[in-house]
Amino acid sequence: MESVKTEDEKLQMFFDGELAPEEEAAVRRSLEGSPEGMVQLREWKQLREAMKNASKDWAGEIDSDALFARIESEISAPVAPIEQPALRVVPGSRERRVWGGVATGFAAAAAIFLAVMAWPAEPTIDSVSVARGSEVLEVDFGPNTGTIFEVEGGAGESLAVVWIDDEEVGLP
Amino acid sequence: MSLIRHLPAFAILLICSAASVALAQSSSLVRSDRAASTSSVPAEVLVVLAKEEPGEIDAQLKKMTALRRPPFNAFRSMKILSQPKLTLTPGKDALVSLPNGRRVKLTLLRVMPDGRYKVKAAINRPDKSDYLPLLQVVASAGDPFFVAGQTYQGGTLIVGVIVDPKKTAQ
Repeated sequence: MESVKTEDEKLQMFFDGELAPEEEAAVRRSLEGSPEGMVQLREWKQLREAMKNASKDWAGEIDSDALFARIESEISAPVAPIEQPALRVVPGSRERRVWGGVATGFAAAAAIFLAVMAWPAEPTIDSVSVARGSEVLEVDFGPNTGTIFEVEGGAGESLAVVWIDDEEVGLP
Repeated sequence: MSLIRHLPAFAILLICSAASVALAQSSSLVRSDRAASTSSVPAEVLVVLAKEEPGEIDAQLKKMTALRRPPFNAFRSMKILSQPKLTLTPGKDALVSLPNGRRVKLTLLRVMPDGRYKVKAAINRPDKSDYLPLLQVVASAGDPFFVAGQTYQGGTLIVGVIVDPKKTAQ
């Protein structure tokens, strides 16, 4: 169902040129049929002309060709090199390698030094309680029989005695 | 340029390494020096003829209380037959002749960490193993060990060995 347009909507669409030809002719006849309508129609026409002129003037002030030409020229222009501040190249990696080697060397030297210093030295005779006496570690009696004794010495120390029975031997 | 700039660091590194190596070597030298200083140790061998018959006991032997205790307390007389002094050197055999024809062979093996001497001994006739093929003892300086039991002239030989740096070899 066709929507019913109000009088204001028809007038708005009439001045915007959006009405169908039959409706536009009907609205025009209605406006031209009354003095208020004629005034309203004349005011709308004046306003429309003013807007058209203003739009034409604004569009005329802009040189679109020149604008696009300038943009294109700036885009296609070669990029000027950015001047860099004067900097000195520092061979940082090699510096780190060198000092890393030196540090490693120092660490190795320190490790050797500490290892030598911390190495448990053989106990000196003075540093341990001096053992006294004598004792048998190993004995081979050969073809004879024997006995191992421990005899107390004058200072209470234990002295080793190996007793082996044998036949008396003569001088060769 | 860079090498020249780092020369001091390298020099310090080399000095530290050399010092560490030198310290390590000196430490080992100290140990080897101690072994070298004890490479030759005076010793004394006491050859005693002990008999059960009553008799004299040498005055020098009276001071040795161990000879008055078992198994030596059965002897009533003791006579020193010889008292040779010698020098024990690691790896070198020292020979002492006994009156029965056997020989005492003594070898200093090493000085123990506690200061005692590890000594190897053997008592045999020349080129034989007829009595004591092998004996290893550790003895502290001045404390003897004894090998007894050989029969000789109706008595028993007691061989005492004393390793003592204070004694002078003859």
